Amino acid sequence: MKQEHFLQPVLEAYIGEYASGKSENAVNRAVQLAGLGRKVTLVDLDLVEPCYTLRPLKKTLEPKGVSVLAWDTDELIGLGETGNILKPEVRFCLRHPGDVILDIGYGTFGAQVLNLVEGAAEEPDLKVYAVINIARPMTSSVSAIVEHVRLLNKVDGLINNSHLGGETDLDFVRGGAQIVTEAAAVLGLPVVATAVMEQLAAGVGETDWYGHPVWVLHRYLPEAFW
Amino acid sequence: MGEKPIKGEQKAFMTGNEAVAWAALAADAEIMYGYPITPQNEVMQYWTRLAPKYDKRFLQTEDELSAGFTTVGGVLAGRRAFTATAGPGNVLMQEPMSMAEAMRIPTVVVIQQRGGPSTATVIYSQQEVTLTCFGGNGEGLRIVYSTSSHQELFDYTIKAFNTAWKYRFPTFVLADGYQAKMRESLVLYDPQAKGIEMVPTESFVGKPGTPGEDRPPAHLRNTYNTEEELFDVLSKNIREFEENAPEITEYEEFNTDDADLLLIAHGIVFRSAAMAARELAGEGQKVGYFRPITLRPFPQEELRQAAAKAKQVMVVESAYGQLLKLVKENLYGMEVPIKTHLRPGVGITPEEIVADTKKILGEGE
Repeated sequence: MKQEHFLQPVLEAYIGEYASGKSENAVNRAVQLAGLGRKVTLVDLDLVEPCYTLRPLKKTLEPKGVSVLAWDTDELIGLGETGNILKPEVRFCLRHPGDVILDIGYGTFGAQVLNLVEGAAEEPDLKVYAVINIARPMTSSVSAIVEHVRLLNKVDGLINNSHLGGETDLDFVRGGAQIVTEAAAVLGLPVVATAVMEQLAAGVGETDWYGHPVWVLHRYLPEAFW
Repeated sequence: MGEKPIKGEQKAFMTGNEAVAWAALAADAEIMYGYPITPQNEVMQYWTRLAPKYDKRFLQTEDELSAGFTTVGGVLAGRRAFTATAGPGNVLMQEPMSMAEAMRIPTVVVIQQRGGPSTATVIYSQQEVTLTCFGGNGEGLRIVYSTSSHQELFDYTIKAFNTAWKYRFPTFVLADGYQAKMRESLVLYDPQAKGIEMVPTESFVGKPGTPGEDRPPAHLRNTYNTEEELFDVLSKNIREFEENAPEITEYEEFNTDDADLLLIAHGIVFRSAAMAARELAGEGQKVGYFRPITLRPFPQEELRQAAAKAKQVMVVESAYGQLLKLVKENLYGMEVPIKTHLRPGVGITPEEIVADTKKILGEGE
């Protein structure tokens, strides 16, 4: 048997507010795992803007070894706001062999969207991570984050992804790390990581100011201009 | 009263629709009326998330006709009320907004333009310029701000309430699906902390005292018996619109002295035009831009002055000649040649404008 069959598959879902950075974190996580030679499926579960996030990145990600479950433009007809059709494979994505990373849109409904995925409720190894950006007014303070995360149902950990797009500096990331760390303590949840874009990575190191792992993000989403 | 939604200043990263909802909160709007339509849905969604926290209200009506009329009704009752819509919803809003125009009701409407005609795309266009400026029956006595960034969406949504209540003309903030959905940083602020006084609202109906004795009667009409009576009312409204226009109009310009080519663009396309103009100017080319911020009233004198110094102008827009129509009207009688870069319903990049500009300037040599 090949080694990968002995590995525990990584099953992670990323949720959060608009512009929290959930898609960027999900994409980077998928690329990172694929870079380790693992079999990775990245799933677009954004029900509001399914066409705007992962679809334009499929061609970038697939050569990196990430299998992307998202509609192609020519597979869809213009339903507009009438609704979106869930790609059938998405419903059964947890049955794919290897790692499965889910990018869940419309963060305000949180983990409820996972109801659409077969086996999600019964899967003990599926981790749901709330991506937090303190530049979002509704997650800008400890009490606001606590309130937000409690509304999301199942959450297994927080990711500090505090940023201001291209105007982000390390002080802002550090401020985010502090607030997210305090909120995690109140919630009794771990801080899984502090995510920083690669331009700022050298200023942080391998762990953030509170000892949490640092995830270095390459920004793929600016290329997702549809 | 709930607590203040924004204290002082706060850096934020969000979608344009959220910026609108936060701006309405910051402007102390009391109620939003609305009906869902992409790409403005998150204005409603965020307003309804925030409303209970800050003691605000929301009414979802059965369609945009009703959303428009309930907005008019809310304002008549003295509420700082607003609505937001797009595309076909904007078409339906024209009837209630014509009534607001007739009765001088200070409504505030945020438009996130989408592709047209009809349902077309839910994504983006600049095809609602004519509709928003002149869509009602009547003379288009409205104020229309065209924004180009999240900061401006925030600034001008706040400003729209003051403009509407000060001048008593329906006021529109005109953006588009890209601005609605894209993510960008901005500074949220409490207007008071910036020294911006909000123009107080007042009730149009049900005022205290006996009408005719303690105060003049509130005689609000959008129906007249004779042509002459209508003419008198319209003449007064037109005069007031025109007298106030110089105070209301806003524009931005760059490198307009002696330009070989003056780019004219509004809204998000202006950003591409500005990048193109700055890039070309950096290469030593005489390229400038003129951007009307108010599409209605239009900064006519300022455009004419800029155009008078230019060898030619080029109108750039994601529509097939709606800004162009305004430009031609306002440049009437001038001989400056007008080139166009018209892309109805799709975005325009700085690279496309640079390429087109180089082609045009090359032809001239």
